[in-house]
Amino acid sequence: MNTSALDPFSNTSYPTAVLTSLPSGASFVRYDPSGRYIAGGRPDGLAIIWDLDTKAAVRYLEGHVKAVTSIDWSRNSRFVLTTSKDWNIIIWDLTSDTDPPRRFTTIRFDAPVLSASFHPRNMQIVLVLLTIGEVYLVDLRREHRGRVELVESEDEEAYKQRSALTVARFDPSGKHIFVGTSHGSVLVFNTRTKLLVARYKISGAGVMRGLGFAKFGRRLITNSSDRILRQFNLPSQYPSQLEEDDQELEPTYRFSDPINKVAWHNMSYSPGGEWLAGGSADPATHKIYIWDISSDGQFAIALDGGREPLLDVSLMSLRNYKWHPKAPAIASTTISGNILLWHCPTPERWGAFAGGFEELDENVEYEEHEDEFDIEDEKELAARKEREEDVEVDVLGVDDVPDALEEALRREAKDDDVVWAESEPDEDRKGWKMKIVMVDDDMQ
Amino acid sequence: MDDTSSESDNSSTEEDPEIPEKAQAPVLSVQSVPPPAPSSPKPAPVVRAGNGPHYELRHTLHGHTDSISAVKFSPDGVLLASTSNDTIVKIWSPATGELIRNLAGHTKGNSDISWSSDSTYLASASDDHTIRIWDVDSGLSTRVLKGHSDSVFCVNYNTSSTLIVSGCLDGDIKLWSAAKGKCMKTLNAHLDYVTAVHFNRDASLIVSCSLDGLIQHVQFSPNSKYILSTSHDNSIRLWDYQTWKCLKTYTGHTNNKYSICACFSVTGGKWIVSGSEDNKVYLWDLQTRNIVQVLEGHEDVVLSVATHPFQNMIASASCKPDLGIRLWVDRGPPASSAGPAPPAPSAPSAASG
Repeated sequence: MNTSALDPFSNTSYPTAVLTSLPSGASFVRYDPSGRYIAGGRPDGLAIIWDLDTKAAVRYLEGHVKAVTSIDWSRNSRFVLTTSKDWNIIIWDLTSDTDPPRRFTTIRFDAPVLSASFHPRNMQIVLVLLTIGEVYLVDLRREHRGRVELVESEDEEAYKQRSALTVARFDPSGKHIFVGTSHGSVLVFNTRTKLLVARYKISGAGVMRGLGFAKFGRRLITNSSDRILRQFNLPSQYPSQLEEDDQELEPTYRFSDPINKVAWHNMSYSPGGEWLAGGSADPATHKIYIWDISSDGQFAIALDGGREPLLDVSLMSLRNYKWHPKAPAIASTTISGNILLWHCPTPERWGAFAGGFEELDENVEYEEHEDEFDIEDEKELAARKEREEDVEVDVLGVDDVPDALEEALRREAKDDDVVWAESEPDEDRKGWKMKIVMVDDDMQ
Repeated sequence: MDDTSSESDNSSTEEDPEIPEKAQAPVLSVQSVPPPAPSSPKPAPVVRAGNGPHYELRHTLHGHTDSISAVKFSPDGVLLASTSNDTIVKIWSPATGELIRNLAGHTKGNSDISWSSDSTYLASASDDHTIRIWDVDSGLSTRVLKGHSDSVFCVNYNTSSTLIVSGCLDGDIKLWSAAKGKCMKTLNAHLDYVTAVHFNRDASLIVSCSLDGLIQHVQFSPNSKYILSTSHDNSIRLWDYQTWKCLKTYTGHTNNKYSICACFSVTGGKWIVSGSEDNKVYLWDLQTRNIVQVLEGHEDVVLSVATHPFQNMIASASCKPDLGIRLWVDRGPPASSAGPAPPAPSAPSAASG
């Protein structure tokens, strides 16, 4: 809301300094879409939600008995999904008054769950990846209830020969599901029909480790076992069925460390897609590499987080990134369980304390203004002031901040895919509030 | 129907506001130099258009035994809290005027209170150097925030109620975590009493004011684009804090001794409401700056006023020896006033922020 108070040139910069560190035991963290909370998963099965205003833990999600493997937030932050090696996926409802919060549902599989995510339009559709290399789409809606495995082809011989699936993501519109395989290819499925619509072969990539999107799904970044991050441009439309086999996809950029040849734990675009952050898997350092996409993918800076090796890096993925006062922000976790919160230090403007005050580096000759010492008629001054004060003032109206993600979702044509995803809408409404739970003194 | 409009003529003629133009040089306060107040020699007449406010006294609440320093409606509109120099915080029902609960625990007088946005907690700032957070339902103080080294003068929650900001007599401002009750930050911003602190809507800014700038009270407008300040030169000003400009000046009341707060009334017409040292409550039209109604009845200085979040209701509280809280309600213009009645202005249009 304070768009006008923000420096228009400081927004595209990246974080450079550690604001604070939270001792937490978490192996990874994820920002919520509003930028108010951060959720972290621990190897002992506990997941914690911190409030970023106070940097204090506000909810302890106790429910898993083995390591938490992934966390996802619903688009309005009301629901949180945690997956674990104990074969369970739990969806938590944060509107409940209790701590730990009420469970919305628990989904159980017969293998450890590696990751899961909400459909961007409807949190009742969940994409699940199991450690045994299978991907399922779970639909919790009454009408469409069920779980479907996503497979390359129905053919039984081919099914036995198939390569393991190693990463699965919805694209930002939720229309398609991108799946990476252990043989270096990316499969694209239609979410509604569950049919394979495209298959990309990425030569030399090896095992796919991670996928990321920017520019509302027109840009894809992949992380693979050959230690190179590749950026691709994606088409805006896909056919309804697989038309040509195995397309080659040429990367527009390749990001790597040519000297140390480090592998990447994961990577993330800045909310507007202007820069890319990669978390280096160097076992001795805590380094986050930043490349500036807007200036030809140039390497910009390596953030050094000290001696504790990095485990995971996460960016604030804001719906309203254009105006958020704290954006951009990065959170990284260390191997000893600390969360480092990175921010852009704002220079203190002491000139802001007095109107018309200017800070000078050296002395300047003062030139008085033409009318500076004119004696004006007081009556006239008062009358002028009186006239000036007749301006209408709106004390209620709030500038409508364009919600970038919502806007993009709304602009999309209402085709079958959108209608399907939005039937039986979820309860993830805007404007819900998390109840303040007073912490007892002895719990700290 | 006490039509008291014409009686305000005798109120503000007694002294021409001495404008402290360059008298003080406050370095750190936001409002540094007040612009010349429109020094109208004769008091602003009460302009009563057909769609002006028509507040009438509904209840008088007695119970406090010392000067009342603050009244606040809960954000859900169900309760009214008041506090006073007698150390007690009282919870009232604004609908019936009944006393519901006393919150006792402070050892010295209180200066300010603030509701959490879910209306379950109340923070009170006291001269015993502490802030207490009360669970209003149970009446127990769930937390005592210790850390200030002098009387705490003002307190406020942020919109999500995760933070509390407080101002102290020694010029310090402290930021607290509401859930843990721990001080997170101390701002040494002022050189004198911090008289008011307030968060903007998304808690990205805090506005504070202090006696080092002779400002009595300051707050953000409901949309957080402007700030409203009251100062000891008998005027209330609306500022655009991004351009440094004073947009509106409201005069006609008396305020040169006490810390009197003003507030926005946005449930019907848009008014500015303030107490006054001539024992009255003044209502100005936000845009035209004319006094549109004067509420009389209090027998001493009216220190604090509050507006209901979505009904046309004003609470005002007074010093010793009056010690009453008065609830005023606007039910629209009296039916007998004119033949063709103007459209009812009292329909609640927007809840305040």
